[in-house]
Amino acid sequence: MTINIENEKKGAMTTTNVESSRRNFIFGSVAAAGLTVAPGMMLYQTANARSQSEKATSKVRWGMLVDTTKDVDWNKCVDACNNEHGLGNEHKSRDDQKTQYIRVVDVKNKGTGYSISLPVMCQHCEKPPCVDVCPTGASMKRPDGIVLVDRHRCIGCRYCMMACPYKARSFVHEVLSDQKENTPRGKGCVESCNMCVNRIDNGQEPACVEASDGAIIFGDLNNPESPISKILAKHGGKQIRADLKLNPGVHYQGI
Amino acid sequence: MKKLHFLEVEGNTKGFFTFLGLFGLISLIGILSAYYMEHNGHWVTGMNNQIIWGTPHVFAIFLIVAASGALNIASISSVFSKTAYKPLSRLSGIMAISLLSGGLVVLLLDLGRPDRLIVAMTQFNLVSIFTWNILLYTGFMGIVGVYLWTMMDRPYNKLTKKAGMAAFIWRLILTTGTGSIFGFLVAREAYDSALLAPMFIIMSFSFGLAFFLLFLMGSYKYTQRELGDYIVSRLKNLLGVFVAAVLYFVLVYHLTNLYSADHRDITVFILTGGGIYTFLFWVVQIALGSLVPLFLLYGPTGKNRAMIALAAALIILGGMAQLYVIIIGGQAFPMSLFPGMEVSSSFYDGVIASYAPSLPEILLGLGGVGVTLLLMTVAIAALKFMPASLADEVADPHSK
Amino acid sequence: MWLHLNFNFGFNSSFVSKSLKKLPLTVAGLAFIAGINTVNANQDGLGPKITIPESSGESCILPSAEMRRQHPDLLKHDRIQTLREGVRAKADGGKLDGSLKQCVNCHAIKDASSKFVRIDNDQHFCVSCHKYAAVSIDCFQCHRDIPEGDGEFHALTNHKGINYSNIVPGTSSLTIKDMANIAPEVISDDN
Repeated sequence: MTINIENEKKGAMTTTNVESSRRNFIFGSVAAAGLTVAPGMMLYQTANARSQSEKATSKVRWGMLVDTTKDVDWNKCVDACNNEHGLGNEHKSRDDQKTQYIRVVDVKNKGTGYSISLPVMCQHCEKPPCVDVCPTGASMKRPDGIVLVDRHRCIGCRYCMMACPYKARSFVHEVLSDQKENTPRGKGCVESCNMCVNRIDNGQEPACVEASDGAIIFGDLNNPESPISKILAKHGGKQIRADLKLNPGVHYQGI
Repeated sequence: MKKLHFLEVEGNTKGFFTFLGLFGLISLIGILSAYYMEHNGHWVTGMNNQIIWGTPHVFAIFLIVAASGALNIASISSVFSKTAYKPLSRLSGIMAISLLSGGLVVLLLDLGRPDRLIVAMTQFNLVSIFTWNILLYTGFMGIVGVYLWTMMDRPYNKLTKKAGMAAFIWRLILTTGTGSIFGFLVAREAYDSALLAPMFIIMSFSFGLAFFLLFLMGSYKYTQRELGDYIVSRLKNLLGVFVAAVLYFVLVYHLTNLYSADHRDITVFILTGGGIYTFLFWVVQIALGSLVPLFLLYGPTGKNRAMIALAAALIILGGMAQLYVIIIGGQAFPMSLFPGMEVSSSFYDGVIASYAPSLPEILLGLGGVGVTLLLMTVAIAALKFMPASLADEVADPHSK
Repeated sequence: MWLHLNFNFGFNSSFVSKSLKKLPLTVAGLAFIAGINTVNANQDGLGPKITIPESSGESCILPSAEMRRQHPDLLKHDRIQTLREGVRAKADGGKLDGSLKQCVNCHAIKDASSKFVRIDNDQHFCVSCHKYAAVSIDCFQCHRDIPEGDGEFHALTNHKGINYSNIVPGTSSLTIKDMANIAPEVISDDN
């Protein structure tokens, strides 16, 4: 399928046609999020593109939109995440002690019997409770909205895990080796989905987005012209536990 | 009324070294357990990604809460000018410091990275209640230290009331802070309540006094010092009031939670269907830890020393059970990701989390108690914390 | 970190040499960080020896002497910039970034069977020196200790020197005094 990539504002990439079977978005009117510059590498469009020597700024707020109505095997996203971050290298921990950055949650309405599945990861809140409660500032939000743990500062108190309404965080219960070089992680620190911050800084989409067959859209929520903002503006989206007013950066359709 | 006279405990005795050795050993075992847990990682414990805080936190929070309560005796004397409690105020102050130290040792040694204590002491996120607590704990040590000094250094006695007032206010804030560690967790139904902070304060009164009374009776017995009925009877009556007050708060806490649909599920879980938590709540916390002690303290056995000691011990046991139910029971109940819906996942969404305390966790927790008692043992032998006699003719202000 | 500690407690050299006989590893490490000027020339035969891999001639972002001295600060600076601020610039304007990943990629060492040695091996580039100086590093509790795959760069390590047995006295090439010479800045300032 050939998709027309719209050129956004100045500084964005040249208009081009990209052959990509993965980019079959549900809403045909909205252009796909990026263009392929090299095999396996996507550049997403942003009005506020930043070079690698610049700091992340709050002009951008990264977010994701998950379309749960699509018939997608969400486990592919889980596998992609585990693979990207080298998860699953615990050998002594019990199952309930092992790290999961992203998980598939089955939700069923007892009354009607209606049920859906959806992937749940760190929701990258605008007002993250994990950041509020962290005594050392290890749990932090980057200016561009990515919530992550600075393991250099984490003392392993686990208060952030107590505070997170989404159960998005895991504690590393044993000595690890063979980590991925882009995702350092080790015993005694808390960790969670970091929206693949290393990929984002490198101009790539998060691993789960790439593996989602277009069911997860990644982009800049602050830019009204970005595909994710356009879809949200036109078709709406819901946040999990929106009642807590944490304003997560991850939105869902069909929940 | 005879003159009050403070005296160190004789250190060079077999009895002293026996207790020193015993408490030292318990502390050492606790520290070795912590080393075992830290060396291997927390996989050797019962804790997991659902039960994030386990048995060490039950002990640690008990000791920290009791620390604040142990200072109560001194506060009643200095702040509320009840002379009857004056002989006990030094012991009360040093016990507060010892209990806090024991609790903090456990809290620290259960961290994932205890080697990074320096980070916790240098990098502050002032929005965090945990940070406030770190500052409150350190401040408490300092203020109570100064308070003790004004009590024990005669020229500065005139400052005791002021220092006592500062310590009293500080400890109320401190326990509010400890309770708020849980009270501010909006996401967890079990904790999301402003009632937790005042409830922790009244719990601190009860646990701290029970620990104090038990230590007082034990230490006077083993040092063969006289402890008159006047003091014991005042303390046990006060203890009974505190136990009843805790019961009242527990009742209100659960009733309000039952009334609001938001919190009904967790409350029903704890009160009826929670297995071990339900058992701990009704049998240990309510029956053994509250009703039986009330009966022992106010009933026909109210003058029997052994029964009073038993009551204090049961109150401590009940307090531990109460914290176990609050801390671990509260985590075991699943958070509602989609209120009103049934959820399930590979990450144990929607199911009651399982937790069984492991031996190292329990030993670490007991180690904290050991540290407290070790510090107390050394303190009463090193400085004049304990009156040489608390016989009625010394302690009772109305005695001839 | 350790290079910035200059414990000049006024050891006299006879104390150092006596202690060296008793506690060769720890005290030698202490002497090394403590001010090498206390170790005089006729002690060449004393204490543990260290082999550091030969340089292939390519340089890092700073000359070797400065890297030995400044690498902890560089890494710490970079980790704050990268993790907390999102700056991932290449430090030398293109080829090398200042990440630990980069360090590992260039300095990884292979053993006789051509496999990268891990952090629990004394031959590991970081370990060889840190163990010698008795300064623990906890970077690799979280960070990967060897390159992914074959690694990419390897520019800074000549893999000829496989015979590393640096902590065993008498089997390799450098002494305390040599260390003093290759890291002269350790004692020069920073008091």
